[in-house]
Amino acid sequence: MSDIIKQNLWDIIVLNTSESEAEWLQNRAASSRMDLMTAFVAAPRFLSKKIIFINQDQQFALNAEIPGFSVEGWSLVRLARVWLLTQLDPSDKEDYVKDIETLFDTAEMNELVALYAALPVLSYPDQWLFRATDAVRSNMGFVFDAIALHNPYPEKHFSELAWNQLVLKTIFNDKPIHFIEGLDNRANEKLAMTLSDFAHERWAAGRSVPAQVWRLAGRFMNTTLLADMQHLFDSEQVDDRKAAALACNDSSLAPAHYLLAKYIDLEKSVKSGALAWADLEH
Amino acid sequence: MCLNTNDIAPNPSHFEDSEETATPAHRDIAWNDYKDLIKGMRFFDPHIHMVSRTTDDYQAMHQAGIVALIEPAFWVGQPRTGLSSFKDYYSSLVGWERFRSSQFGIKHYCTMGLNSREANNEPLAEQVMEILPLYIYKEGVVGVGEIGFDDQTPAEEKYYRLQLELAKKAKLPVQIHTPHRDKKKGTERSMAIALEHGIDPSWVIVDHNNEETVKSVLDKGFWAAFTIYPFTKMGNERMVKVVEQYGPERIMVNSAADWGISDPLAIPKTAALMKMRGISDETIRLVTYQNAIDAFGKSGQIDVTDFESGYAIDHTEKFHGNSILRGGQQPVPAKDSLVIN
Ligand SMILES: [Zn+2]
Repeated sequence: MSDIIKQNLWDIIVLNTSESEAEWLQNRAASSRMDLMTAFVAAPRFLSKKIIFINQDQQFALNAEIPGFSVEGWSLVRLARVWLLTQLDPSDKEDYVKDIETLFDTAEMNELVALYAALPVLSYPDQWLFRATDAVRSNMGFVFDAIALHNPYPEKHFSELAWNQLVLKTIFNDKPIHFIEGLDNRANEKLAMTLSDFAHERWAAGRSVPAQVWRLAGRFMNTTLLADMQHLFDSEQVDDRKAAALACNDSSLAPAHYLLAKYIDLEKSVKSGALAWADLEH
Repeated sequence: MCLNTNDIAPNPSHFEDSEETATPAHRDIAWNDYKDLIKGMRFFDPHIHMVSRTTDDYQAMHQAGIVALIEPAFWVGQPRTGLSSFKDYYSSLVGWERFRSSQFGIKHYCTMGLNSREANNEPLAEQVMEILPLYIYKEGVVGVGEIGFDDQTPAEEKYYRLQLELAKKAKLPVQIHTPHRDKKKGTERSMAIALEHGIDPSWVIVDHNNEETVKSVLDKGFWAAFTIYPFTKMGNERMVKVVEQYGPERIMVNSAADWGISDPLAIPKTAALMKMRGISDETIRLVTYQNAIDAFGKSGQIDVTDFESGYAIDHTEKFHGNSILRGGQQPVPAKDSLVIN
């Protein structure tokens, strides 16, 4: 990883720590590998429990270095842990991988959250692919969130299959998919069709799917999805009707636009830009 | 805690005494008739092995007023064959089990240690000691435990001493398991060694006491914990007598419920019995809640605001009707209903 990101993170830490806390961190970073790993574990015993403050410039700098990477809303402990990981010397790949693996193996929930949040800044990114897909399978909500939401690692490294699992599980768990980094970039036809199947199951059980998930469908419109759009236009939920209008508008298929044209008010607000997917992000 | 699988099968308890005839505890009094006595009380179980328990137990504990617990690392019933299974077990104590507990509204802490029985597998014990530091410093780890003696072998003594040093370095309390066989001698030896290592007795919780050991433990300044475990010598009626005789100072009650026939409601039941026998509310509060917090709170890892408010009021109210479950907690299913929704 780059020295710039280390410095960026440290600048944020300095603004959020007391002198003695910052000193403790620097001492630990300069010590042996085992001491550094123990510091990763023991951080909550030495740092105050609080959510960090970050200014616009700092967020901009992080983003410039790693697009999509954000520490907003993090606790000081999580930030410090991620920074400590950047202090592990990566020059010997075998040692480095072994130490990170040990931290994963022995981690409790908050440590796992820090480890997954740190994936975008770790060296040898391909090494963590199995861990990352494993987190998508986690039953612990915070761990799942750490890999799925606000994390640029999956967009960059996940296979299509793993990516689709991540998005579907986010939907399945009723979590907001607009917090997934790269959602539009990695939209694909398989995902759109699986989403349709999933929606049918939910509808059969008398349940619904969050309206904004249909943003994944527009570019892949076909007869199956068009039937889903009709179902949504017929829904009593206003958000469903809005989602259908937006998805039809996203499509280049003529029948989608004919369908949309039947709903004059919705068509007007979509075409004018008064209605956008952002309106359904909740 | 459960180091005695090879002993007589019917009661694989903390205290079983093979020559003793088993008599069920609580035989005369129905819990349902008396649980109103402890309505509104909060309890802290400083020794219970939740990995062995079901979701029904969690729900019953929550409803009975248990707001927090400590799960000591222990012997899981059969020997572990490698370091990985130790890692997985330790990780479950701070990972999945802690999360599972939170889903039922109970704050979960743990103590970490190499149990005495497995200290006898020296090559493996050596490896465990290498990774133990990564666990004892974790958030919510409130002590090194449960450690001490089982067969009182030299290997047990070696790893007991090493772990005392670890606790000293990490500034953590020590939770001592006292042996089932030759208990009195084992207890004395455990305390003597702790003192020899310069450990302040007010940082040591001596577990599984009985009438024979309690006086010496208290006189030396240690905490005396009592395990209420069915079919054993320490039933809760005798616990009441101990409290009557010694008062509440430095005494605490636990269930040590595990994979044997044990009772996760041992503390609320004992509290109800104490109440019936006229023991003051304040004394009950000390031995079933506050003393455990004071002893293990020396770790700096217990923040009572995490559990003291919100659970004192009637929790069933919160689960009713369409009200929102706090923090995604598990809803309580209607177990009497044929229809499963
Ligand atoms: Zn035990």
